[in-house]
Amino acid sequence: MKKKLALGLPSLVALHSFTLFPEYFLSISIIYVLIVIVLITYNIYGLMLQKALSESMALILIMASYLIFNDDLLVLNFSNFNNSIVNDYFAFFTKILICLFSALYFLIVANSLKEQKLTSFEYLLIILFAVLGLLLMCSSNDLLTAYLAIELSSLAFYILASFRKISSYSVESGIKYFVTGAVSSAFFLLGSSFIYGLTGSINFSDFHDLFECSSMYFHPHDLFFDSGDLKTYELWKTIQIMMLLDIGQFPILAELFNYSFVEFGLTLVLFSLFIKLSLAPFHLWSLDVYEGAPTSSTFFFAVITKLSVFVLLIRLCYQSFFSLKSCWQFYSLWIGIFSIFVGSFGGLKQRRLKTLLAYSSTSHMGYALIAFSTSTFIGIQMLLFYMFIYMISGLCVWYVMLLLRLKKKNFENKYNKELSDLALLKKSNAALAFSLSLTMFSIAGIPPLVGFLAKMSVFLSVVGISFYFIALASILCSVVSTFYYIRIIKVLYFENLLVGKLYYPIKTTKTIILSVLILSLVFFFLNPTILYLVNYKAILYLL
Amino acid sequence: MFGSNMLFYLFSIFLVISALMVVFSQHPVFSLLFLVASFIFSAFLLFMLECELLALLFIVVYVGAIAILFLFAVMMLESKLNNLSKNSMKYVPVGFVFSFFLLTPLLREISIHFENNYDRNSFYLNTYQNWYDLIDSISDVEVYGQVLYSYYVLQFLISGLILLLTLVGVVYLTNTFATQQTTDQSLFKQLSRNSKLSFKE
Repeated sequence: MKKKLALGLPSLVALHSFTLFPEYFLSISIIYVLIVIVLITYNIYGLMLQKALSESMALILIMASYLIFNDDLLVLNFSNFNNSIVNDYFAFFTKILICLFSALYFLIVANSLKEQKLTSFEYLLIILFAVLGLLLMCSSNDLLTAYLAIELSSLAFYILASFRKISSYSVESGIKYFVTGAVSSAFFLLGSSFIYGLTGSINFSDFHDLFECSSMYFHPHDLFFDSGDLKTYELWKTIQIMMLLDIGQFPILAELFNYSFVEFGLTLVLFSLFIKLSLAPFHLWSLDVYEGAPTSSTFFFAVITKLSVFVLLIRLCYQSFFSLKSCWQFYSLWIGIFSIFVGSFGGLKQRRLKTLLAYSSTSHMGYALIAFSTSTFIGIQMLLFYMFIYMISGLCVWYVMLLLRLKKKNFENKYNKELSDLALLKKSNAALAFSLSLTMFSIAGIPPLVGFLAKMSVFLSVVGISFYFIALASILCSVVSTFYYIRIIKVLYFENLLVGKLYYPIKTTKTIILSVLILSLVFFFLNPTILYLVNYKAILYLL
Repeated sequence: MFGSNMLFYLFSIFLVISALMVVFSQHPVFSLLFLVASFIFSAFLLFMLECELLALLFIVVYVGAIAILFLFAVMMLESKLNNLSKNSMKYVPVGFVFSFFLLTPLLREISIHFENNYDRNSFYLNTYQNWYDLIDSISDVEVYGQVLYSYYVLQFLISGLILLLTLVGVVYLTNTFATQQTTDQSLFKQLSRNSKLSFKE
């Protein structure tokens, strides 16, 4: 009897329940918070609890990232839900990044929710749902799980966008986001049904086996050694090494099979993900949504949501459909170039700050997509580096946007700023103006800050596969886009005005996170090796 | 067997006709009813192909929930839908252009990859009796249940979380906590509404 019990317990807590331990933790804590808050009648104590609740959400996320960090991946590599979840360093690294950045986001937002009059607890809870969806997206290994994760996160985004019910702009932006999101998921489902129709599987590793095997798993070792033909074996080895070193140059045996139908499906899936990333032909929703949604929601859309979509793209294109390189490289290259172009030229005449930042985010996604389209090892490394820097500088910019509150009776809740509102900020709050201008310099890519390294590494990775024209065009567009970044600095410092706007003073406790983030912009310029090495380790699974 | 083949064609013709009527009928309520009809006909088709679960899902989810919900929404929003039919012809050429560019590669790919079956004219006649099915068979619904709960537990849980999220969001977005009363319909307005939608200005 006793022995039976001892056998029973380990089978009860099976190994596969630890596969998604941090996600389990997050979802259980979501439900726990929901129940507890309903029990304590939030309507009465709500305003008191708001800040504490937000900070506890940050604590939950930090604990989740500790759970991820604590795992040494010895066993979990092999345990997964019917191969629908993958656990590798790439997934773990991106999950930790998303957890830490969204914990920072919660800490930042904690103070300003009351000022924005978003006092109901559902706001924080829905953001936590969105983070859960983003984490699941990072580690999903089949199309169904990926779709469900995308739906979980984007349903949360629609609610976040339309959260201020009394403002018609917010409701309008929520509906716009909903309609474009529905179109995007329809594309995703159509494309994945085509892929399923041809391959009979929805699993990424199955795609890898189906399409990649023909060229990579060919083992001539036995063939050549039996015949004693060492020369051919050496040749094969050099070819293999060439493939590993520079995947972009090697013609893969694509003629064995007619890929056109899979390409059609893959293109539809890619387009749906591009809509999520708000890349250039599909970016029109982002302008209105960013402008209309409450500022803290826009903060979340702009900064945190992009990385996991790129993770899904890398899993789709590099892991499962690498042999369809000619297809996805074409689309991602041209769409990347086009969105850099649109992002740099569209922002020139824009005077509203949030729309300006939406254009800027479109062009940044374009740079990241160009790094993605190189189809080399270095390209993905630089993509991760770029996304990391993008998230840090995005946190800085949007934190400043949250901190700036106009001191005016009528516009007490006005967070939508125009450029002219920032005039003479250096007189009223010199430190804030300095940090905003430093961040703008970093985003524009001026050398003593890390944004320069990020942009340069992307351009170098494009030059590395000798796409000189693409590199030249994107560099020229980035020069154009510096205009509107520098113009913000000009408005901050060199405006010939005697009267500027007044802002509410800021408590010193709020500025700690901001100063740490600004310092990190300088620190990573002086010491970028840490990031390069970490990204290198995260990427290694692709080899 | 020939009769069931004929039934298949009959239902598919009805399906196509009702799907066309969804687009072309002027009255939004009628087009929604045609949508319900097209769902029901496709459920019939799926029943004939022995996909019971999908057919039941079509009836329960699409007809029972979504289409009826749309019907209510259309009836509530009657005044704003007047100009819809006038504007719809404006978008027809654009729609044709886009659908042309989407459909031609799609049909081409399908014709390349899925070759014509020569027995397609009598596909329903060619059923053969699998004797194992008679002895040891479980129904379609049961198979789906077993696969869902054994292999796709995680996806099932995620969809549960999605439902929870939508519940929380909808409760927040539709309730007005400030006035402490839920959105209410005025009985007089509801009762004085007539069944015809006015297309006049």
